[in-house]
Amino acid sequence: MAAEGIDEFDIRDYLRTELLPHFMCPGCGHGIALRALLWAVHEERIAKDQLAIVTGIGCSGRVGGYIDANTFHVTHGRPLTFATGLALARPDLEVVVITGDGDCLAIGGNHLIHACRRNLRMTCLMLNNEIYGMTGGQVSPTTSEARLTTTTPYGNAEPTFDACGLAAAAGAGLVGRGMTLQTVALKNLIREALAYRGFSFVEILSDCTEIFGRKNDLGSSPEMILRQKGSMRPDFYGNTVEHPFRPNNLTTGIIARNERPEYGDTYRSEVLAPHGHGGAAAGVSAPVE
Amino acid sequence: MNALDKESASPHGNRDAARPTNVLIVGVGGQGVLMVSKVLAALCQSEGFEVKQSEVHGMAKRGGSVFSHVRFGEQVWSPTIPRGEADIVVALEWAEGVRWLDHLKRDGGTFIADTQRIVPPISFRNRTRNAASAYAPETPAEVVALVGNGFALDATSMATGLGDRRVANTVLLGALSTVLPFAAEHWLAVIEQFVPAKTKDLNRRAFLAGRDWAVSAERVPAAAATDAVAQKVTARAIETAPAHLLTINEAWCKGCDICVKMCPERCLSLNARMVAELARPDACTACHLCEWLCPDFAIRIESAPAVKGAS
Amino acid sequence: MGAGQRINLQGNHACALGAIAAGCRFYAGYPITPSSDVAERMALELPKVGGVFIQMEDEIASMGAIIGASMGGAKVMTATSGPGFSLKQENLGYACMVEVPCVIVDVMRGGPSTGMPTRPAQGDIMQARWGTHGDHPIVVLAPSSVSEAFSETIRAFNIAETLRTPVVLLYDEVVGHLVETVQVPDPGSVARAERKWATGAREAFQPYAATDDDIPAMARPGDGYRCHATGLTHGERGLPTQNPAEVERAMQRLLGKLERHRDVIDRFETFAAEDAEILVVAIGITARAAKRAVAEARRQGIAAGLFRPVTLWPFPEQPFRALAERAKAILVPEMNAGQLSLEIERLSGRPAKVARINRLSGEPIEPAEILKTIEELARHGR
Repeated sequence: MAAEGIDEFDIRDYLRTELLPHFMCPGCGHGIALRALLWAVHEERIAKDQLAIVTGIGCSGRVGGYIDANTFHVTHGRPLTFATGLALARPDLEVVVITGDGDCLAIGGNHLIHACRRNLRMTCLMLNNEIYGMTGGQVSPTTSEARLTTTTPYGNAEPTFDACGLAAAAGAGLVGRGMTLQTVALKNLIREALAYRGFSFVEILSDCTEIFGRKNDLGSSPEMILRQKGSMRPDFYGNTVEHPFRPNNLTTGIIARNERPEYGDTYRSEVLAPHGHGGAAAGVSAPVE
Repeated sequence: MNALDKESASPHGNRDAARPTNVLIVGVGGQGVLMVSKVLAALCQSEGFEVKQSEVHGMAKRGGSVFSHVRFGEQVWSPTIPRGEADIVVALEWAEGVRWLDHLKRDGGTFIADTQRIVPPISFRNRTRNAASAYAPETPAEVVALVGNGFALDATSMATGLGDRRVANTVLLGALSTVLPFAAEHWLAVIEQFVPAKTKDLNRRAFLAGRDWAVSAERVPAAAATDAVAQKVTARAIETAPAHLLTINEAWCKGCDICVKMCPERCLSLNARMVAELARPDACTACHLCEWLCPDFAIRIESAPAVKGAS
Repeated sequence: MGAGQRINLQGNHACALGAIAAGCRFYAGYPITPSSDVAERMALELPKVGGVFIQMEDEIASMGAIIGASMGGAKVMTATSGPGFSLKQENLGYACMVEVPCVIVDVMRGGPSTGMPTRPAQGDIMQARWGTHGDHPIVVLAPSSVSEAFSETIRAFNIAETLRTPVVLLYDEVVGHLVETVQVPDPGSVARAERKWATGAREAFQPYAATDDDIPAMARPGDGYRCHATGLTHGERGLPTQNPAEVERAMQRLLGKLERHRDVIDRFETFAAEDAEILVVAIGITARAAKRAVAEARRQGIAAGLFRPVTLWPFPEQPFRALAERAKAILVPEMNAGQLSLEIERLSGRPAKVARINRLSGEPIEPAEILKTIEELARHGR
């Protein structure tokens, strides 16, 4: 299964294995998303030392701590802001933001649209499980309508956010959506995002089985993951719920491209170069003495 | 040497005027089989022949089998070529060429095929990792030796080298032109009617590349089965199903059941401690689905060291 | 120090030039009166030295960006005023917890809320100390002149880098917009402190090890240490922990590290304070009015003196206590409803002898007003 000329991928090479098993619930999709990311990192031949992972708060925020790289677990909703500083100061690093639907679209929504607009090179992975899992299952901006959460005990009456539509409209260089069910396709999508020179945004459909699944009677972990794709629900599971877990006809793959100059490049060529500074990847951190 | 300056030796040039010439063009959906047959039909028509062209492509989506019969002569009655009566078989995909070999004339038939392999999923009937596929096992050398006049060329690589793999069909037209009695400039004039304006030059170069190749290949028939082609064919000839190792890290498994339910072979189960285990190791095909979908990284499938890098 | 040059400078611009001289190479900010001049000057100056300026989408983002850049290895700064300072507090707490060097300028204006954007105040004294939640170490410097806006900014960077802590530069709108002639040294002659970077084998490195000086070395991304930084309470390995003993040890080190390095942090100015019976304590522009009042009082034969904490937090307790003991009365004039006076009451040992002058009108406190109170205290005691 190794890509051409690369050693076979062994996820343990990219994990702080002494911290495993991880603290996520049984069946949680975030682990699968993490595999897809690390697999993509492997195939893109990104050195762990050059990989900087910035995460926010929530279940998605805890994913970063298991990665054997430079990992920054920052404040709620703000990973994109930290990553912006880091990527501008250190253009040599591969900056990846891992965030959640609440982290990215609710408390951090303003940062998302401006990161899209700015088009500074980094990859933002939004793990969308439709719920605030860490805090016990409150409604999020992507919770499907009519779903039960601890703060929508009578069903969610609010419409949901289309994160990819938002990112595309705000000008993100590359916008894509993947699902944990299709791990290989997701890995390939993340590879494209990592390789993209600009701001890339990937929404990953991930399952919260223990909290969201239970609350809404969505069945077992395998049933939930199968619901990600409508056509892939085998008959033998039957229809345990009246409605699909979420709109299971969402487009996956690359959703939008906005080819624009990368912000760091522009800053270096338009602002720094006239002053005699700013090579292709000039950072502003002082050298080690 | 430019192929345009060369008087091509056309085995089908001095044919019996009363009998039509039969050309069968085969390939898979998306390769341009129909473009090849349209060019040929139009050319024959402009050269004063009666032409019948019939094709089957309705069932072929991209990747499926496509074939087209072109018959031309003083007078043509039947639209299809009976088995064993094709003067020329042009194959845009290797296995398709082999599949249609029985339509070629026993003596003196010309076989022109791209050695490019497009392996359909259905040929993997044995799902064990690295198992041999059911794809056509015949090597180009074998086929070329079998037919009267064989051309096995890596047209797709030639086309890719010219800048666009999609002109592989035009490369094959170039090769085909050397066995039919039409002037090269006439071929090119017709091709230009069927390709987008901005690719005219590319197609011209592709046509000439195919024509050049066929002219030289005819002189040295062994060149048809080049080393590169031979290598390509042997590379897939791993006949044994190598061992693989599926390990489950019990300490990491949380018993979510995803691997058990998603395994296409039903070879995993949860044990009494709600930990996944490989209940039917013989059934495991090393498809990796369980490994990829395990949220806890508890499953690992490793190739045996001997087969690492073989693919 | 080199010859440098004498120029007329505005306080906010002096702060920006001080930052450049100190080695600041990354600034992220958001427009807010009366601090915007700092951002504007940084936008002008940073490209000349190969640095990065970015105006972020909001105050929170600015704070996040400078912390991110600092974790990448840059010397960083942001500037704001009260409302923006409030917004930055959560991320400021993160910088305290993760021990990320950074400098935050708060140019104080009238509050609370939007208050009086163009009017001076000193209402953020407590916010600067306790603005973020939880117990945390923080250094706050309070320059009172344009010259000090320059030199204290340099000191802020050097303390931040040396002690791995956020440093707040706190001054009122008068200092920010005041233009004074100052001696600006050649940038090359400015003493710059550098961060302690991780060296040696990765296996032996612990990002929050209890070192001899309580200041852990920082691992720079790309140097091969691959560490974890988190705002969760973390042990010496940098990983989250709730182990009571480990938490206690980590927090004691974090909270104790500034106390151990008072020699680097403490700075204060005294004027006629050694034998003062009436001790005036003030910061910023108010301290300058107080100095004039004390000088006038001395001319009248009143034993007045001034204690001006240049490092406001942690308060220079020991030198102040020595002077406070001798004084019969202590006067705290400040442009708020009484914030510095709370700390002075605590440290004086006898809160009853602490008198206050508070100003909420958006106007500076004049020397005459302070002098009047000194005279009264001299006549009637406290």
